[in-house]
Amino acid sequence: MDRRQFLDVTASSALVAGLPAAFNLHALAQPDLLPILGPEAVREIGVRYRELVPAENQRQALHAAILAARPWSARVPWLAGPSIGAMVAEDFAAGRTMVVQGWVLSTTEARQSALYSMLAA
Amino acid sequence: MHIDARTLPNGSVLEADLCIVGAGAAGISMALEWIGSPRTVLLLEGGGLEYEPAMQDLYRGESVGLPYYPLQAARLHYFGGTTGHWAGFCSTLDPIDFDKRDWVPHSGWPLRREELDPFYARAQPLLELGPYEYAAGDWQRRDPTLVPLPLDPRVMWTKMWQFSPPTRFGTRYRDAVIGARNVHLYTHANVCELEANESLGAIEGLRVRTLDGKEHRARARYYVLACCSIQNARLLLASNRRTPTGLGNAHDLVGRFFMEHLEIPSGHLALAPSHAVNTKLYAFEFGQTKARGELALSAAVQSNQRVLNGTVSLEPGAPDEEAQSTFQWGTPERLKTMRERKALGKAAPPPAKSPLFFHLMTRQEQAPNPDSRVMLSTERDALDVPRAKLAWRLTELDRRSFRVFYEVMGRELGRSGVGRVQLLDWVSRDDGTWPSTLSGGWHHMGTTRMHDNPRFGVVDATCRVHGLDNLYVAGASVYPTGGAANPTLTLVALSLRLSDHLKRTLA
Repeated sequence: MDRRQFLDVTASSALVAGLPAAFNLHALAQPDLLPILGPEAVREIGVRYRELVPAENQRQALHAAILAARPWSARVPWLAGPSIGAMVAEDFAAGRTMVVQGWVLSTTEARQSALYSMLAA
Repeated sequence: MHIDARTLPNGSVLEADLCIVGAGAAGISMALEWIGSPRTVLLLEGGGLEYEPAMQDLYRGESVGLPYYPLQAARLHYFGGTTGHWAGFCSTLDPIDFDKRDWVPHSGWPLRREELDPFYARAQPLLELGPYEYAAGDWQRRDPTLVPLPLDPRVMWTKMWQFSPPTRFGTRYRDAVIGARNVHLYTHANVCELEANESLGAIEGLRVRTLDGKEHRARARYYVLACCSIQNARLLLASNRRTPTGLGNAHDLVGRFFMEHLEIPSGHLALAPSHAVNTKLYAFEFGQTKARGELALSAAVQSNQRVLNGTVSLEPGAPDEEAQSTFQWGTPERLKTMRERKALGKAAPPPAKSPLFFHLMTRQEQAPNPDSRVMLSTERDALDVPRAKLAWRLTELDRRSFRVFYEVMGRELGRSGVGRVQLLDWVSRDDGTWPSTLSGGWHHMGTTRMHDNPRFGVVDATCRVHGLDNLYVAGASVYPTGGAANPTLTLVALSLRLSDHLKRTLA
């Protein structure tokens, strides 16, 4: 994690207390991928993601990384930020994707899958 | 008129204004155009009216490149040609297919797509297709339930196919050809050599042999080779009595640039159930479906990503099923069942519900490659003609294009909320290897490619062989690039265009 990422994560962590419910740890661990691919495939994706990105192989690190990936507007308490679904769509549009277990996934949902593999599996 | 060449006295001379060698989709399409004209036409078919093993054996050959189908099974050698076993898939080439693309070496046609449009329209009824409409919107207007996926047209689009019954030219047009007074069909008339004049500027005649040992000669003002991509090249190369490299081969191009369509299972699509996407437009039932869509990258994305053209079809399946290539899928047992159901007028039972999981089957053009080629074997066939030797070879661009296609498609289907795409292992790997499921579509193209400059092409834009005043080539062998569309519609369109050209020339 470089300095900028560290500051982002730190700033995001400071806002965790005021997060919308959709962004709490357990809500994020239920990615929209679940009804598409099923729990077993999502769990496998999550495990593989943690192997590929060992720096995020902890629930708090994953949580922080997802929060840090939100646009600036989401970090301002009085502005309504994007939903997690909108973040996923924006990832795809912006090319923030990765191939995990062969699946072309948004980075956000890959991290969500990793959380799922830790919390729900 | 129909004559079996075996019944002619040995040494017969057959004469006409125009001689067409080969009675497949290209040759028959041309011959039909001349019925009732004041010109006489010789239509020479090496096989008979029906399949005969001895005739088919003349197409046996060697394969020394990537694994390929047995050459004697990859085309048919009797009246009607390979339409005797084609599946009827038809679509047009895209405008980008005609462009010179700086990222695709040797690409570019000496004609534009717009120049082919009127001939595509004329080819439609010959192949018993619907109207000349290949936009998804055209089909949606006919049937509002045929809805294209909500894709960004700057990234991906739905390319349409139409399906011929499929038209078996040998049975569909047999009576018309045989009944024509000015078209003289000779069967069992195998052209073994094209004889050039002394200056190598024109063809003087053709040596025609039968399996029972007779040899005849065919003479015409103009000649058209309409055999198939392998056989067209083989005949030119084997016509080496006056020039050791064969005819039309001054620049060592004949036989080179052999192309196929790479048809390989490459991935999966899992639909997002919440979006309830309608995929009816993409469904296919052999013998029932009139038109369907496949997914393609936009021309802009092909250019930006520097990849080849291709399309992906959606085949409903289950996640735990192993994907199969077209020919793995078509087992003798399954084909038998399909034929039985078709004979009884039955379609396959409709799916119980809209599928949510699909195998993705790619059909991708092959980059033109001079090292992918047809040569002559040292072995000779029963008529003493050297057999064909095929070296099918692919390039890094062919391989890379698959991965790029699937990654772009994965992002676009994710962005649009349609679902998620999975790349099969071989697509993900960057090791340059091909999977065991690598197969071609039995589409042979490119061995007598078209280019205005004889240094880069065997035929010119009219399909005339460079340097030979009266020899033309019809069929997919003239394609400089193959696009993603199955070749038959385009080769019939080009044959009609050539026919018009020859009518003007003979007038």
